[in-house]
Formats: sequence, C-alpha cells, structure tokens
Amino acid sequence: MPRKVLVADDEAPIANVVAMKLRGAGLEVVVALDGQEAYERALAERPDFIVTDLQMPGMSGLELCARLAAELPGGVPTILLTAKGFELDAPALAGLPIRRVMTKPFSPRELLAAVQEFLIAD
Amino acid sequence: MIELRRIIAVVLLFLGVGVGLHLLMIPLRNMDQPADIKAMTLACGLALAVLGITGGYLVARVPKERIQGMAEHLENMVRRETMGLVLADGQADALGRLGRAVNRYMTFVKDEIEQTLLTSKERQIQIKVLEAERRHIESVIHAISDGVIVTGAFGDLLLANEAAERIFGFRHETSVRRPIEEVIADKGFLALLQEMRETGLFTPHRTLEWVQGGGGGARTWRVVLNTVTEGKKRERISGAVAVLHEVTKEKEIAKMKSDFVSNVSHELKTPLASIKAYVEMLTDGDIKDPAQCRECFQTIASETDRMNRLIENILNLSRLESGLVPLNKTDLAVTEILRDVGEVMTPQAAQKNILLETDLAPVFFRVHGDRDMLYQAVLNVVSNAVKYTPQGGKVRVSTYLSDGSVVVEVADSGYGIPEEELQRVFEKFYRSRHTGETVPGTGLGLALVKHVTEVVHGGRVDVESQVGRGSIFRLSLPAVR
Repeated sequence: MPRKVLVADDEAPIANVVAMKLRGAGLEVVVALDGQEAYERALAERPDFIVTDLQMPGMSGLELCARLAAELPGGVPTILLTAKGFELDAPALAGLPIRRVMTKPFSPRELLAAVQEFLIAD
Repeated sequence: MIELRRIIAVVLLFLGVGVGLHLLMIPLRNMDQPADIKAMTLACGLALAVLGITGGYLVARVPKERIQGMAEHLENMVRRETMGLVLADGQADALGRLGRAVNRYMTFVKDEIEQTLLTSKERQIQIKVLEAERRHIESVIHAISDGVIVTGAFGDLLLANEAAERIFGFRHETSVRRPIEEVIADKGFLALLQEMRETGLFTPHRTLEWVQGGGGGARTWRVVLNTVTEGKKRERISGAVAVLHEVTKEKEIAKMKSDFVSNVSHELKTPLASIKAYVEMLTDGDIKDPAQCRECFQTIASETDRMNRLIENILNLSRLESGLVPLNKTDLAVTEILRDVGEVMTPQAAQKNILLETDLAPVFFRVHGDRDMLYQAVLNVVSNAVKYTPQGGKVRVSTYLSDGSVVVEVADSGYGIPEEELQRVFEKFYRSRHTGETVPGTGLGLALVKHVTEVVHGGRVDVESQVGRGSIFRLSLPAVR
C-alpha cells in the first residue's frame, strides 16, 4: 500500500508541483490549499507525512502541525516550506514533529529525497 | 573774620564805656559849670556808655532770630518731605559759616541720595530684565514638545513642562516641590530616575528607551537622562534632568520598513519557488505528457509576470511619490480596464475555486486618466480580494455612475478587515494584524491604489468591511461628460 502524503500550500502552483513530484515517485498525495482544509483532510485521510507551507491564511503550517499533534498521538511528521528569509526560532518548533525546514525556492528533487528518507526512518 | 568782629565789639565797648564815664566825670569834677551843661554832659556820657555797651553787644552777639529762621526752614522741609538749602545769609559769623556748611552737606547728601536712587532704578530694571528672561526660558521649556522633568537632590520635582504634564497626567503648580514618587505613578520610569540618582556620578549622561503602558496603546519614549552635580569636584548629585521624546511612530515605521524588506523578499521568493520547481521538473524529465508540459510553461510564465507586477508596484509607488513618472492621461473607458483585469485574475481566482464576477456596465463610462496606472490600481484591489478570500468564495467587480463619478466596486466574501484597521490599510507598508501574519504581501498594493486614485486622478478610495463577511472597496473617479 503506497504511503500517503498531505501537501498544503496556498500557492496552488507550488502545491501542484510538489504533488506531481511525489506522485511520480509512487506516493499517494492529498492536496490542500489552506491551513483549515489541510487540518480537516489530515484528520480524514490520516496521512503518513505532511509537506506544508508556513504562511497560509487562516491557519499557519506551524499551527496545523501543533493542532494535529494535539489531535493525533505523536502528530504527523512534517516538512515545513517557508519563503521567510530567516531561520525559524527554535522555541516555535520545540515539541512539534517537524523533521526539516526547507526554504523557498526549493528543489523538488531534494524535497522528495527528504520525504522518502523520513518515511523509511519513521 | 569772627575774631575781627570780636575785636571791634570789644573796642566799641571800651570806647563807649570809657568816653561815657569820662564825660560823666567832667560835671562832678567841675562843680562850677552851669547846671544845664552839667546835665547835658552827664546825659551824653550816659548815652555814650550805653551806646558802647549796646554796640559792642550787637556786633558780637549771635542773633537768635537767624537761628530760629534756620530751624523753622529745616522743620518745614521735614514737614513737606522736601530737600533744599537753608537760608544762608552771606554773614561771616559762625552762624553764616554753619549755614553754608549745612548747605554743602545737604548738597552732598542730595547727590548721594540721587546716586542711590539711580542705582536702585538700574537694579529694578535689571531685576525686570532677569524676570522677563526667566519667564522667557520657562515658556521656552514649556513650548518644547518633548517632556522635560527636573528633580532636586532629594528626588523632589523642581520643574516640569506641559509636555511632561501630559505624559504623566499631573499638574505642575500642585506638584512642584513634592516627592517625584507622589507625582509620577509609573514604576518603570521612577526606577530610571532612582537609578540615575544612585549611579549618576559614574554615568552622568544616559539615553534609553522607556515603554509606557502596554498592549495596543503602548508608547515608546527615548529618555535622555542627565545628572546635575555640584561641589568643587562635582562630587554631589543635586538633581536630575529627564527629557522624553516620543519615538512610537518612528519605531513603528522602522518595524514596518524591516517587515517590508522581509515581506518583499517573501513575495519575490514565492513565484521564484514555483519557477525553480517547474524548471527542475522539466529538466529532470519528470513531466512527459505534452499537455502537462504546456501547463508547466504557462505556470512559469504567469509566475514570472507576478514577480514583475510586484517589482512594478514597488517601482511605481516610489516613482509616483518622487513625481518622476510621466503621466499619459487620455479619455478612456473604465469598462475596458475591468475587462483586462478580469482576464488576468480569472485563472488565479479559479486556482482557489473563487468565483470572479465582472458585472460590466453596458455603457462605457469614461474617465480622464492614465490607463496603465488605473489598470494597476484596479488589478491590485481585485488581486487583494482574491488573496483575502478563502477557497470557494466570491469576488464581484462592478461599475456604476454616482454623483458625477465613475465608481469601480470590488466586493468579496473574504476574511474582512477589523474596524480599527480600516483607515490604516492604505498606509504604506501597513499589513493587517488580522491576517498579515499568515497572508503574504508587501503592504504596498493599497498604498499605490490610494495614490493613483486620489493624488493622480483626483478621485477617492473608500472601504467598508465586516470581519468574517467580506470587504467592499470603491474607487471613485471623476467622470468625463
């Protein structure tokens, strides 16, 4: 059974390209275009992994991650994509199942490699 | 002179008495003289003796009337409170001399008094000048828009200007000389003054920031503290001067600017991320289907346009504000602009499953304006509406005539803007606190809309909004008849 990844980004072109890359590697992909939608779909679909944008209207990637961690035991391992020019401060990430923070522009090739690595590890 | 008078008096006395007695003696010795001659000689002798005594006395005596005259004259002057000279007859006797001496002395005293009066007048003028200068300095201190507070050696309030009264809410008249702790309630500020009193000898000048209050009403002040010292080696602190300058706005602008740089880079990186990702997909051969390939190239193209639009926005706003942009105003149809905006925005709205309705008027309302700028202004408003409307929402663009103006109305079913932010959304770099943290943007779009509509075209921008229900932006432009 293919592993399931939730891709959340309010930028549709980014969400689509990530979905395309992951699907090409044989993963099952669920796409959400804002935080609220991502939260609802994650609860419904129970993905093995999440790739999410940080800045999204309504609910940020961090909030999504935190709310899922509160809802599902251990939360869902996550890669955070961000176009912010600086590193996220550690306290904001503490206690959350965030495996890596990747800054935009990013390489879909590297993103896929990271997702696969963590899926195997987890 | 007096000696001569005495000699004359003595001579007259002796002469009168001597001759008189001698004449008196003649009848007594010559008894044979007729009786009437005897009597006549006797009378002449007596008269001469009396004359000699009287003459001598008259010449030598100090006349009582002159002394009394002088005394009365002096008493009169005392009574009338005037100053003058006594009646000095030119006589050479002691009284005459005394009178002249008194007059000389009086002249001296009068000069002295006049001199003293003059000096006192000068002093009074000096005091008035100093008083005026003091009041001037006080009003200068009061006129300073920065708060000024001066405390004494024991932490008592010596001086505070009106700005300081307003900052801390006290009345100077009723607070002066009172301990500063009773005048100012803010513990943080009192601690600054206290520290200054304790360590002022080592660090007599200090500039620091003090935040007054908290939450949304917090005000930031730059406080310059100076210690006033006294003593030969300036070893004693006799007080402290605090000058408070508000930097709330500057801090806010500085933060907005730093946010702006971070936001602009975010805004540029987002389309760049798409471009980079799609290019990599294409070069890696991940996309083989020709239709999908075409879609990728289209995305790359539209994301490139988006980056360009952002850069145009930044450049245009800066050019418009510096007045460097050449305007190209013509009579143009607003409907055409709306149609072009609709064409550009429909695919973006479709990505979020937002229905973009363009309700174009059947008649072509015309305005006199710069087509490119109006296009960009309308595009910014519509693009904002799409950005701030969640998936499945609706954005409606319409145009109508009202009060001689062509109104372009953009209504959305988006997140809405809280009332306290409504007037601020047009400020340069301002980002909504409501959604600003999560929705990307530069804070330039609406600033450009306002500038283009109001400054360049003499129109007006309005906004009304309800949180959770959506917003309506209206651009009113003077219609061409």
